[in-house]
Amino acid sequence: MKKIVAALAALAICATALITPALAQDKKFTVALVPGLTTDGFYITMRKGAQAAADALGVNLVFQGASDFNPVTQVPVLDAVIAKKPDAILIAPTDKVQLVEPLRKANDAGIPVITVDTFIGNGVYQTGAGEADFPLSYIASDNILGGEIAARALAKAIGDKGKVYVSNVKPGISTTDQREEGFKKEMAANHPGITVLETQFNDDDANKAASQLQAMFARNSDLVGVFGANLFSAIGAANGVKQAGQSGTIKVVAFDAPVSIADNINSGLVDVAIAQHPAEIGYFGVVSAYAHLTGQSIPVEIGTGFTIMDKSNIADPNISKYLYSE
Amino acid sequence: MNSSEQTTPLLEVRNLSKHFGAVRALNDFSMVVRPGEVVALAGDNGAGKTTLIKAISGVFQPTGGEILLRGQPVTFATPHEAREKGIETIYQDLALADNLSIGANIFLGREPMRKAFGFLPVLDRKAMAVAAKQTMGRLDFHVSRLDAPVSNFSGGQRQAVAIGRAVYWDAQILIMDEPTAALGVPEQRKVISLIHQLKAQGRGVIFISHNLQDIFAVSDRIVVLRRGVQAGDRKISETNHDEVVKLMVGG
Amino acid sequence: MTSTSPTEQSGTHVAPQADHGDPARTWLGRIAEGRAWLFLAGLIICFEVWSRLSFGATFMLNPFNVQSIAIFAVAPLLLATGQTFVIISGGIDLSLGFIMGLAAVVAAHATNMAGAVIPLPLAMLAGILAAVIVAGVPGVINGLLISRLRVPPFIGTLGMFGVARGVAFLLAGGTTVPVQNSWFALLGNGRFYGVPYLVIIAAVFVVVMHYILSQTRFGQHNYAIGANVQAARRAGIDIRGHTLRLYVLSAMCAGLGGALYAARFTAGAAQAGEPLLLDSVAAVVIGGASLFGGSGTIFGTVAGALVIAVIQYGLVFVNVEPFWQFIAVGFVIIISVLIDQAQRRFSGARQDE
Repeated sequence: MKKIVAALAALAICATALITPALAQDKKFTVALVPGLTTDGFYITMRKGAQAAADALGVNLVFQGASDFNPVTQVPVLDAVIAKKPDAILIAPTDKVQLVEPLRKANDAGIPVITVDTFIGNGVYQTGAGEADFPLSYIASDNILGGEIAARALAKAIGDKGKVYVSNVKPGISTTDQREEGFKKEMAANHPGITVLETQFNDDDANKAASQLQAMFARNSDLVGVFGANLFSAIGAANGVKQAGQSGTIKVVAFDAPVSIADNINSGLVDVAIAQHPAEIGYFGVVSAYAHLTGQSIPVEIGTGFTIMDKSNIADPNISKYLYSE
Repeated sequence: MNSSEQTTPLLEVRNLSKHFGAVRALNDFSMVVRPGEVVALAGDNGAGKTTLIKAISGVFQPTGGEILLRGQPVTFATPHEAREKGIETIYQDLALADNLSIGANIFLGREPMRKAFGFLPVLDRKAMAVAAKQTMGRLDFHVSRLDAPVSNFSGGQRQAVAIGRAVYWDAQILIMDEPTAALGVPEQRKVISLIHQLKAQGRGVIFISHNLQDIFAVSDRIVVLRRGVQAGDRKISETNHDEVVKLMVGG
Repeated sequence: MTSTSPTEQSGTHVAPQADHGDPARTWLGRIAEGRAWLFLAGLIICFEVWSRLSFGATFMLNPFNVQSIAIFAVAPLLLATGQTFVIISGGIDLSLGFIMGLAAVVAAHATNMAGAVIPLPLAMLAGILAAVIVAGVPGVINGLLISRLRVPPFIGTLGMFGVARGVAFLLAGGTTVPVQNSWFALLGNGRFYGVPYLVIIAAVFVVVMHYILSQTRFGQHNYAIGANVQAARRAGIDIRGHTLRLYVLSAMCAGLGGALYAARFTAGAAQAGEPLLLDSVAAVVIGGASLFGGSGTIFGTVAGALVIAVIQYGLVFVNVEPFWQFIAVGFVIIISVLIDQAQRRFSGARQDE
């Protein structure tokens, strides 16, 4: 319910922001978008959404980031962005803790910070509590909810019983941690027939994710499902299922939906994919920044939606439009 | 060795000069090496010994003068050309690949091949080992473990391998740069005896050393260099330590 | 050595100890040489016992596990074979991971494009060929940088790591490139009498690479250059030409690795090889090569790659906290290097006769 309120609030600021450009617009605002990494379809799609909003509002959008998802490479990019004094920064922080101080520098310099996709601290901002409450807003898919959706989809696919596990990247990434958390929470609360085995971390290596699935299956011959918390975890696990000769028996739910996932769904490699709406995140990010810069108040949290893709609906253009494209 | 050849020098260096800008590292230098003769090259550090051997072995092009091989003038654009004509330099650091066997070192860069199963070219390790054994035998050096890497051998033995390689490829002139410097006394003896073997085979040896003891033990003649010029050329039988030292330091 | 053996006395017998630069025949040398296989055997026994005690199930006698480990080891092994050559020569190739990613993306695009005009099996071959050839390009640049411009291998290939990565991401458009070719997918996931094609291809490839390293002049010169580049140069070996060919060879190994990745996951991904680079170096070192150059074998590297695969697979199988995998692999690397050092110290001081 809170989500819906937040979404409505977002729509409201959209409306005001879109109506008002002529009024406040002597200065052309520059908004910087610092993605988690520049080379990922998810952030590239987010940039497209942000660009659409920027074009509509007459905002200059700067897209600068590192090529891997790592605070060590992100912070220097952020510092360079801060040095150029944009009017606002949208950032997908690559670590909940390590990005707090670097972002505080921006805040201290009077540059408003909005986090997109990932967050710092606990993701609850403007409370006056804690060290990391200074960003104005957190705009993202609700990844806990995404995990819950994945759990429900997997439970349905396996008839609500049997052993499953989560194939994850590595701990410490807020989004994938939350997906796992949501997945386990939903399974524990509403699916007593399902046993969730130990999570396997693959370092974003599909080869390793595949091998782990095979080892898990070798140990647990009654394994019936796996949740890949990001793309490589999912396609790796899916390949493991194929190599183990268990296609159709072990169900695979994938989080994230680059265009290639459509083929994987059609070929039966992946059973269900949960698509986020990165373009929406980028769009609302720019709109929120603009709203703030033009004196509007903005919600501290905006949750964007998900689309569940499977064989039955992937051909529908209303569904496939949510695939992350170049 | 054919006695009529004794008169024709194997190697003759005539009025050789090498200038580096204004520095005259070698100036108007002459010497000869006859078959079966060991010529020691003595001189203080910086006297021009290294420049001389580099000019002879094709590393440097001389600024002036000429090199004759069996009476024929020759020029070497590269060390490789000098080696082709039978001038082999054995450096202090030996230039061996420590991880390879004696045979592999002898054949390094020109390995023999054979056909396995009648079609597949493979290294002919057996031929290398046989050649290694024969060559080392000619140097009176017997080793039972021909497949061991040369790092397993002592300094003198490795020196023998380097010499063996030159002998196998039929080098007529061996230039040996401080071959005994890094060795213990028994090992030094072994190298001295190796040089005697080369001499007996009619090869010419240029022997560079700081150690007058070794020079007097093995050489037929001694040529002394001082500041790039020839300071003396003596038969070993007609000179002594004191005279050589005087020639070296210019006393 | 057993000096009582009558064959020793003859002294003429030349052991066709063929596979590389004729090993030190000290017992320590032999252990150092075969240490990767010893590790492997020890690990397997360890997991077998663990598995039987904890779960009453066999580990290595389960063909499914053997198969899974073999497939797991293929990709790191392909990178590691090329890396073996480079490390023996005294260099290192840090660009292999992203050359593999580049090749995977190229294989995906090329297979799709060719599939539109020629029959699928031919398109598959065209895709693999394109991947291997394109992978050769950064190899040529690496080779030229290192041989002509005297850039240290670490720096040159580090630069190429960035370039190959950027090009791969550009070609892929920041996403994964799906492959539509049923033959290609079959190559990546099919089996021949239960043996995955990938494993068969890797096995043939390993034998060919072993032949090149141990039985050709190229291989022999590679050992010589790694031990003493001056000696190799004085022996008339063309160091520049060799270095160029060396880095092209290692890049092409990564190229094949990328093509097979695309076949297996039916998609090319620019970051495909990124996590494998360090595993490839680890496999070579565990396999007995020295990072100082001059030693190492292909079969050692095979064992090294299997050691890593067995640890990572085995720890999941026996249900150990995942982070222990890193610790275990780290320990094996350290122990391996310690044995190498010890062997060097002893054999270096050893005098024969």
